[in-house]
Amino acid sequence: MNKAARLWAALAAPGAFWLLFFFAVPFYAVACVAFGSIDPIFRDAIPQWNPLNWSFGEFNAVFSSVTSGPLRGVFIRTIVYVVSAMAISFAIGFPVAYYLARHAGKRRMLLLLLIIAPFWVNYLMRMLAWVNLLSPSGLFSRFVGMFGVQYNWLDGSPITVILGLVYGYIPFLILPLYATLERLDWRLVEAARDLGATSRQAFRVVTVPMSKAGVAAAAILIALPMFGDYYTNDLLSRSPSTEMLGNQIDYYINNSSQPQRGAVLVIMLSTLLLVALSWYLRSTSRVGKERVR
Amino acid sequence: MTSVSTRRVKALPILIWGYITWSLVPVLIAVIYSFNDGRSRTVWKGFSFRWWFGDKYASVFHDDSMRQAIVNSLVLATTTMLIVTPLGLALAIGSHRLKGKSATAVQGMTSVPLITPEIVVGAALLLTFTRLFSGIPLGFPAQLLGNVTFSVSAVVVIVRARLVSIGSSFEEAARDLGATRFQALRFVLMPLLWPSIVASFVVVFATVIDDFVITSFLSAGVESETVPLRIYSSVKGGATPALNALATLLVATTFTALTIGVFGLSFWRKRHGEQGGFKSALSDLTRMGE
Amino acid sequence: MERRDFLKTLFATTGGIIIGPSILAACGGTTSSSSTGLIIGTPDSPVTLPLVGEPIADGLANEGGTIEILNWADYTNPEVIADFEKAFGVTVKQSIYDNEDAAIAKLRNGTLKPDLIIGMTDTAIARLMAAELIQPLNHSYIPNKANLLAGLQNPYYDQGAQYTMAQFIYGNGIGYRRDRIDPSELAAQGYDSMWNSAYNGKLAVIDSYRDTISLALLQAGVTDVNSGDADVLAAAKENLIRLRTETSPKVDIVSYQELPAGNRDIAYMWSGDILLAPFYLPEGTTADVLGFWYPETTITANDFLCIPKTSAKPVAAHQMINYLLDNDVAVKNQSYVGYQPALTSVTAESLINSGVIPESLVDAVVDDAKYQAGKRITSLSPETDALWNDVWTTFTAG
Repeated sequence: MNKAARLWAALAAPGAFWLLFFFAVPFYAVACVAFGSIDPIFRDAIPQWNPLNWSFGEFNAVFSSVTSGPLRGVFIRTIVYVVSAMAISFAIGFPVAYYLARHAGKRRMLLLLLIIAPFWVNYLMRMLAWVNLLSPSGLFSRFVGMFGVQYNWLDGSPITVILGLVYGYIPFLILPLYATLERLDWRLVEAARDLGATSRQAFRVVTVPMSKAGVAAAAILIALPMFGDYYTNDLLSRSPSTEMLGNQIDYYINNSSQPQRGAVLVIMLSTLLLVALSWYLRSTSRVGKERVR
Repeated sequence: MTSVSTRRVKALPILIWGYITWSLVPVLIAVIYSFNDGRSRTVWKGFSFRWWFGDKYASVFHDDSMRQAIVNSLVLATTTMLIVTPLGLALAIGSHRLKGKSATAVQGMTSVPLITPEIVVGAALLLTFTRLFSGIPLGFPAQLLGNVTFSVSAVVVIVRARLVSIGSSFEEAARDLGATRFQALRFVLMPLLWPSIVASFVVVFATVIDDFVITSFLSAGVESETVPLRIYSSVKGGATPALNALATLLVATTFTALTIGVFGLSFWRKRHGEQGGFKSALSDLTRMGE
Repeated sequence: MERRDFLKTLFATTGGIIIGPSILAACGGTTSSSSTGLIIGTPDSPVTLPLVGEPIADGLANEGGTIEILNWADYTNPEVIADFEKAFGVTVKQSIYDNEDAAIAKLRNGTLKPDLIIGMTDTAIARLMAAELIQPLNHSYIPNKANLLAGLQNPYYDQGAQYTMAQFIYGNGIGYRRDRIDPSELAAQGYDSMWNSAYNGKLAVIDSYRDTISLALLQAGVTDVNSGDADVLAAAKENLIRLRTETSPKVDIVSYQELPAGNRDIAYMWSGDILLAPFYLPEGTTADVLGFWYPETTITANDFLCIPKTSAKPVAAHQMINYLLDNDVAVKNQSYVGYQPALTSVTAESLINSGVIPESLVDAVVDDAKYQAGKRITSLSPETDALWNDVWTTFTAG
């Protein structure tokens, strides 16, 4: 290695080794717990460090529970909630980001600040705000009560959880969307209009394809953490009828004496996310190739 | 033709102000209720500082466990930011300049934490610290290590964005004038990177002080409870407006840190003749320059 | 950087780490599995626990400083704690747990390191012993043990009270709102009321697998609440799934706040919880709105105090145990916590006569007859426990 490379390597080494020890190795530890054995008395996990001795009994048990057992409901429900929350978030977030990127004019800085603000308000505080509003004596419940609507918002209601996810994660969607849309070359849209396209056609044929990669990135940016969310459900509803995958992981790892099952669920979640991520990467690299052409 | 588009354009401002209201008003209401005179977080009884410092047992100022939580949060955030910034800075510079396979491996590994859900990282770290690296006790040490790990990538992103925009011309000029690579790094690059260091401090501080999942997974009882953990456990068990007050304090701390960061950065930019001012300071802090 | 390269290196980094297993095993601690079985005592066959470790010596002075207690939420009167701090010159810090199993797991892996544990029950003692987590008590520090009910001075799960001192007694029943549910209607339904879809969305069960699965057993007429019979438990599982569909229950331990707040109408509760509920009524509402149905066949239990082996302040811990067993302190404690102290001086009559129990909740007081007639939940063998856990995870997975 020449002198330059040695300097750069020396600089990068501490961080790289840190990530290796405290990020990469823990994943291996999860696998060792998931594929290890259980203490018969305490049902505590005994990790198996040698991959050659890994046992997949618990993994198979969980897998069959997911495909045809009690965990199936949890998986399906989690997917439904996340997809719904993302759809609603896009329905609200995309127009907001679009407006901010295109039409804001003089007020832009103010709007930007107001829209960034919730990004930095603690997630729990934002959920706490809604717990207060939605409780039976809360302002929101009393408000809709005036119109005769009597509903227990915090009592295991899927709507509350989905809207809670939307409320919680939408700032994480709007910012990257805004960043993408702001960087688009709007002259292309104007050119399309000049050539006779309606604004709707221009949007469909020019804006949408140009922003596809950024939109997909933003979608992944909120979908991934949403899949692992457990605290939103925990705060807004304490009922098994809205149980999400994250709750199950939290339960097994933190509130039970059986962490092995939690480790298996973590592996499954990570695998799912890895699959989604590689799909995204492959599709965006394809988009990149098209654009070059 | 134009009427359709102007209608749509007119609808958008309503949407955006509606969104802003929906987004911020609940939080404002929660802040207001922290000044409630009664015991309830939902029924207004009048204005008072009871839950801030009035009540001798249950107010934020007097409740020992709440004060402990505030101290824990501040210590954790400050320590994390002081450790992770140099670590991430070195990693960003080194991995940016390195060529070849090892560089891409390191860059890949650095990007993964950004897209990993916190629950996965938290669970993995908990299992690791209790079964593999058992020398590291849960509580503050584990929480510190966990938060540093999760924040390194953010620092690298912030620094790398600036590295890319700076380019290598300044250092090359310094080397042409006889400086060693290391001297060019220390006397030319580092001062130019100062805004990223400040941005990194601010972003990491704000992120760690708000962190919930990793800090919660790695906590060890009431001694290592931070403010978000305290809020979480109290909401489930029916609490007084002191909870609102605690949460307001948390938000105020984050916003103060950010404001200091933004104004400090735009001041620095003005003094050093860089364009962009307030807006690029803002973008520094929200990682939009990725 | 190139996205494709990112993909490649992503897989390379996360998938390609093979570390010598010997290195890892050397630097990590391996959990030693206990080869001794669980020692389980039942009312029919009481057990004298083996002496593991030495109790502290006699006549030592209190260590001073801070003592950390592991406790349930709202389970000791803060005034009692403040009095103890003043009388013994120590500072008390509380760590809260809400789940016995999780607490035991955390005690085992060192996450929690308290000096005194309050509120664990018979279902935990076998595992506490097997994991060698608690130390034998030195009774010379606890003269107030004579105040305990005779039966609990020599409990079946710990004959001679070598490791534990009983604290509260309670029974399981159904708490409800008299202003929303007619008491006679509830009494007529009995356990079936928990399956009544008329209460959908306003009902709760206890977040404790032993208690709630026992509810399903008792409703079906099964009286062995420690059953290891696979068929019986399968039926209980179906029963609980039916409960879930009929009533969408909440599963937690905060009914003592939610019932008086009006957020739920009916809940399966520990009797002490309903006696605590009046404190959480909104202003202007009296305790008349609360009611408690005490079943003829139900679970009665007691909790206890014990000292971890790794306690840093064992003398102070002993003194606190003794303090909590004092007759007057116990009554003061009861006024905040609701639960009945297991002391001979605190009889059902004395509680009712002293006026601390609201008229509407008199049924929640566990007198001697009720206590003797109740079923006890004991520790389970690992195989049985696995069956019970399987039922519970199915129920809570929604």
